[in-house]
Amino acid sequence: MGVTARLAARRTAVLVTEVPGWAAVRCALEREVRARGWRPADSPADADVLAVCGRPGPRFAAAVGLAWAQLPGPRARVDVHEVATVAAALDGAAAELADAPAQRRDAQSRTGEPSTGVLATDPVEEPAPDDDRSAGQRDEEPPAFDDPGPPDDPDPGTDSDDTGSDDPDPDSDSDDMDMDMGGTDMPMPGGIPLAGAGDDDQLADPDALDLDVLHVPLGPVLPHWPAGLLLHTTLQGDLVVAARAEVLEPADGSAPPGSLHGTPAGRWDAVATLLALAGWADGATAAARLRDAAIEGGALPGDAERWAGRIRRSRLLRWSLRGLGPLPEGDALDRLGHWLAGTERPRSTTLDEVAELVTGLDLAAVRLVVASLDLDTADRTAVPAGAAP
Amino acid sequence: MTVVQVPPGWVPVAGLLLLGVATAAASLDGALAARSAGRTLGGGLLTPLAETARLLNQRRRATLAADTPLRRLGIAGLLTAALLMAAVIPFGRWTVADLAVGVVWFNAVDVLLWAAVWLAGWGPNSVHPLVGGYRFLAQALCYELPLMFALTAPAVAAGSLRLGDVVAAQQGLWFVVWMPVAFAVCCAAVLAFSVWGPFAAPLGSGSAGGVLAEAAGVDRWLVQAGRYALLTAGAAFTVTAFLGGGQGPLLPAWLWVLVKTAVLLAAFVVLRRRLPVVRPERLAVPAWLVVLPLTLLQLLVVSVVVVVRA
Repeated sequence: MGVTARLAARRTAVLVTEVPGWAAVRCALEREVRARGWRPADSPADADVLAVCGRPGPRFAAAVGLAWAQLPGPRARVDVHEVATVAAALDGAAAELADAPAQRRDAQSRTGEPSTGVLATDPVEEPAPDDDRSAGQRDEEPPAFDDPGPPDDPDPGTDSDDTGSDDPDPDSDSDDMDMDMGGTDMPMPGGIPLAGAGDDDQLADPDALDLDVLHVPLGPVLPHWPAGLLLHTTLQGDLVVAARAEVLEPADGSAPPGSLHGTPAGRWDAVATLLALAGWADGATAAARLRDAAIEGGALPGDAERWAGRIRRSRLLRWSLRGLGPLPEGDALDRLGHWLAGTERPRSTTLDEVAELVTGLDLAAVRLVVASLDLDTADRTAVPAGAAP
Repeated sequence: MTVVQVPPGWVPVAGLLLLGVATAAASLDGALAARSAGRTLGGGLLTPLAETARLLNQRRRATLAADTPLRRLGIAGLLTAALLMAAVIPFGRWTVADLAVGVVWFNAVDVLLWAAVWLAGWGPNSVHPLVGGYRFLAQALCYELPLMFALTAPAVAAGSLRLGDVVAAQQGLWFVVWMPVAFAVCCAAVLAFSVWGPFAAPLGSGSAGGVLAEAAGVDRWLVQAGRYALLTAGAAFTVTAFLGGGQGPLLPAWLWVLVKTAVLLAAFVVLRRRLPVVRPERLAVPAWLVVLPLTLLQLLVVSVVVVVRA
């Protein structure tokens, strides 16, 4: 391995995806990533490694495949199901990234042009649990899509060698915005319809701007986001004017190791997520370290108290969170305070309530509100899947 | 002390100097990140080199129906703007371009960033970058006017828009002493136009990386390097306008510029890790109702002092 490859490996960025129920594996993975000096990625384009914690069901797997197709490459994918195998999996990913001939083959097997994806709202054909998912069927599956950018590849493979459509040479990319498709009046750049006036979902705009309506799914492959949550949003500008939430399930017959909710580790995990979204790098790292210490059982109480105090005293944070996501028992800031004090009460939030809370907010506020709810998507009684219409 | 314009052959040296200081800032940030993650401070020092090696080895990402020319203009715009800013800043006795309107030049280049960051967000034809681009505009509406008036204060006090004259006018008394508000506003605006620290919302995790959500490879490198270079150029300008530039005892003037810039830059880097991001939609009210009037008041005080002294 050359000097540049060794240098590059020091900053490997990992896009972490958690299937509902595998929080402990995700925490172990994040801890290992931190210990190696690697870093979590914000989006597929930012990532070298896609790490899937747990066994996703078919729709979730399709979404993961779509995210995988967006990794620019060199890229590696790891599937981790147990805490014990985390380190070995990451070693494997590092070796895969360093394998230049294999990476070159992977790049050459990817098609040139980015292609349109499919809608997250398309009906799903659930394959049989023992389906080995042949290539033909994969194309039929409508992946839910974490990133609202134009999806690249409707082919959600499970194998690192057969997917991908990122353009290794973007010069060949079409940027003709005026290309008319099919003789319609509406221009269809790259074959995708432009955001247009909505039908019945266009809301009356108080500013009379008459903004275009765009349907954007958030999740499930999205960092700092509840495991498996898929939020179908209708955007006008960057405001969510309508939303519908659902939870993508783990694979049938899998036995997830369970949730961290209600434990000190779960509380610090929620704090770490919220602080990461609030853009407080040191606070989020400290909270994640306290979480990992709590999982190990060797929590440092003094350090925890010090950080809890610091987080509570941060004026900028209070200013950012005050008034967000009001529930009868308080807003996002109150919920953060309860996590820090360990006084939060178990609360069941239905998916409809989540959708209602985020409606009318801008995208960043939606992320903060969802994080502040600390949804336990692995708990079917608290978050009934049937809540989605 | 007069400032002389160096021959054009020195321009690459000036560019490398800017990038070198920017790299040092990135190293410091990497070291602080490593410490906060519980690793040794030294382990993070190589971060800018490692990140460069990683990104230059990575393929770019193409998106569907991307507006490629505008996207590239935007992505290249950050680093370009930083280099253009650095061109007018006196480095001790030397400067690349001894413009009679140096202060205005700096301000004009920082306005270019409105277009650069927004185009970088518009280009990929993707929601999160576009939202990030508009967030930057919302933020720019908050910092730009206070910055313009804050930059007026040293120019009024020096009676010149030439940066060399601004430095000369601080002989004996740095402007920061009697223009603290303008200095603070200038520092905050430098953070904001570098999309840094509390003003990093357009790139934040809250929008999956915002403007950078679809950037990979050399595109991401250009934006990240551009941010560090902007922060460096902004710190050097603030040092020149408020902290006496090359004024100081014993050491040569160029070394004073370097030392002061390094200290201010380090403060910016440390600040970033300690503060959460300010949501742009909550920024407008304090920016227009508190900061802008205070800046104007500062300008009034400076103008009165100048008139009385004359």
